[in-house]
Amino acid sequence: MVYYVAIFSVSVYRDPGVPMRTTVIVTALGPDRHGLLAAVATTIAEQDANIDDVSQTVSNGMFTMIMFVSFDETETSMAELQNALGGTGETTGLQIHVQHENIFRFMHRI
Amino acid sequence: MVFITAEEILETVRMIQAENLDVRAVTMGISLHDCSSRNVDDLCRRVFKKVVAHGKRLVPVAKEIQDKYGVPIVNRRISVTPISDVVASDDPAAYVKVAQALDAAAQEIEVDFIGGFSAMVQKGFTKGDCALIEAIPEAIAGTERVCSSVNVASTRAGINMDAVVKMAGVLREVAKRTAKQDAIGAAKIVTFCNVPEDNPFMAGALHGSGEPEVSINVAISGPGVIRNVVASHPDISFTDLADLIKRTTFKITRIGELVAREASEMLGAQMGIIDLSLAPSPKVGDSIAEILESMGLERVGAPGSTAALALLNDAVKKGGTMATSSTGGLSGAFIPVSEDAGMVRAAAEGALTIEKLEAMTSVCSLGLDMIVVPGDTSAAALAGMMADVMAIGMINSKTTGARLIPAYGKKVGDWVTLGGLFGESPVMAVNAAGNEAFVARGGRIPAPLQSLTN
Repeated sequence: MVYYVAIFSVSVYRDPGVPMRTTVIVTALGPDRHGLLAAVATTIAEQDANIDDVSQTVSNGMFTMIMFVSFDETETSMAELQNALGGTGETTGLQIHVQHENIFRFMHRI
Repeated sequence: MVFITAEEILETVRMIQAENLDVRAVTMGISLHDCSSRNVDDLCRRVFKKVVAHGKRLVPVAKEIQDKYGVPIVNRRISVTPISDVVASDDPAAYVKVAQALDAAAQEIEVDFIGGFSAMVQKGFTKGDCALIEAIPEAIAGTERVCSSVNVASTRAGINMDAVVKMAGVLREVAKRTAKQDAIGAAKIVTFCNVPEDNPFMAGALHGSGEPEVSINVAISGPGVIRNVVASHPDISFTDLADLIKRTTFKITRIGELVAREASEMLGAQMGIIDLSLAPSPKVGDSIAEILESMGLERVGAPGSTAALALLNDAVKKGGTMATSSTGGLSGAFIPVSEDAGMVRAAAEGALTIEKLEAMTSVCSLGLDMIVVPGDTSAAALAGMMADVMAIGMINSKTTGARLIPAYGKKVGDWVTLGGLFGESPVMAVNAAGNEAFVARGGRIPAPLQSLTN
């Protein structure tokens, strides 16, 4: 799997009148079946968050998905999103993790 | 704009989920210098108030950061100014009261340990230092969360052998008082050479005199990540192996840097240091011994173990220093026996002995750490073992420490369960040859030459 995804720094535009936009990375891993992407995407839509980018593959029956999701802090929060996706994880059998983008930037780029 | 590949994202997720990558500890250092008072009750009130005032947000902030980045922060801890610098009394009972105040403060803010019931006696004792050391058994046995450390040696001062002998007596007494819990009290006492002033790891954390009012120090971890990297490359040369470990450590340390920056900003504290240590936990797969074994040793303790550890320790530091400019603390791989499932297995099988651990101490962090010895080990033997560890630190200008647990009433081969992160361990054999006349000499082993270093 070699493809690149652009992450825009969230702190570039800090107009005090504009609510801060947070970007998180959602990863979902687990045994494949129908409707997994739809289930995760629906939960994200219900939380008023936006999917900026998505990549998904199935290999040897294992479903792997990476989503870049952004949201306004006024509309939803990291905790709410994690909570909602935790529920989706339980119903779909997926391990779903929601992590702020900075951890990936810090770990993999100087 | 930053580009991150899908592989890199999944690598991070795998390290955290499958390989036990975590931040071992976020430790807040708090200066207690302004709490001094001639009246010990006043002093205790001030200490409690100050620790709670600064530390009360530590646990919620750590939780917030943990949720934000999805990386576990295992321990939240407090370190304070060495208590012998804060208390103006030569009455051990006063020190015990301060230990109780520290314990109460730690309980109030829900941190698992508070370190700094400490004294620096490498060159000699003040009256207060003597009283503090005398108070350690009661202070440790009578509290739940207080940790104690005493620096008895340094490269510049030599080894205060009188202090080493006193500490041996303290260990035996603490072990006796906590016999019902398998002598766990002794696990909360470290005897140091060249103690660092900014160490985030317990039991030896303290907030030294060169530190700011409040600081945040972060201890990273991740032996499981390194082990998997090593195990998945069974045939590469040592040169390539060192490079691989460096690159992996870089990534682990960056998480520590991120957490330290964010925690210090949120808590209004100065960012202190990242401790570039690989610290094991009793969980299988979170072991330093298993890293060495994945390099090709059947069991840790086999010939070559010291060389393997030297490679690992150096590569960890090289990768880590590239990832953060704020290094400090102990910074090196730890080899505590009871806290490392692989070390415990090797010790139980007889592959790992105290003598081999002492040799390994010369190339890594800390020293004879979390080693359970028979309860009837003489004070002289304990003092001799500690003196050996101090000598390695003193001569090599590095930090070494001893955490020996003389398990009251237990013999070689018996098992002790210390619980939680302290783990469990078989009682290890101590060389039976006598050394009473040696340690009875007292005085100070002089500081070594800093040239002609062979």
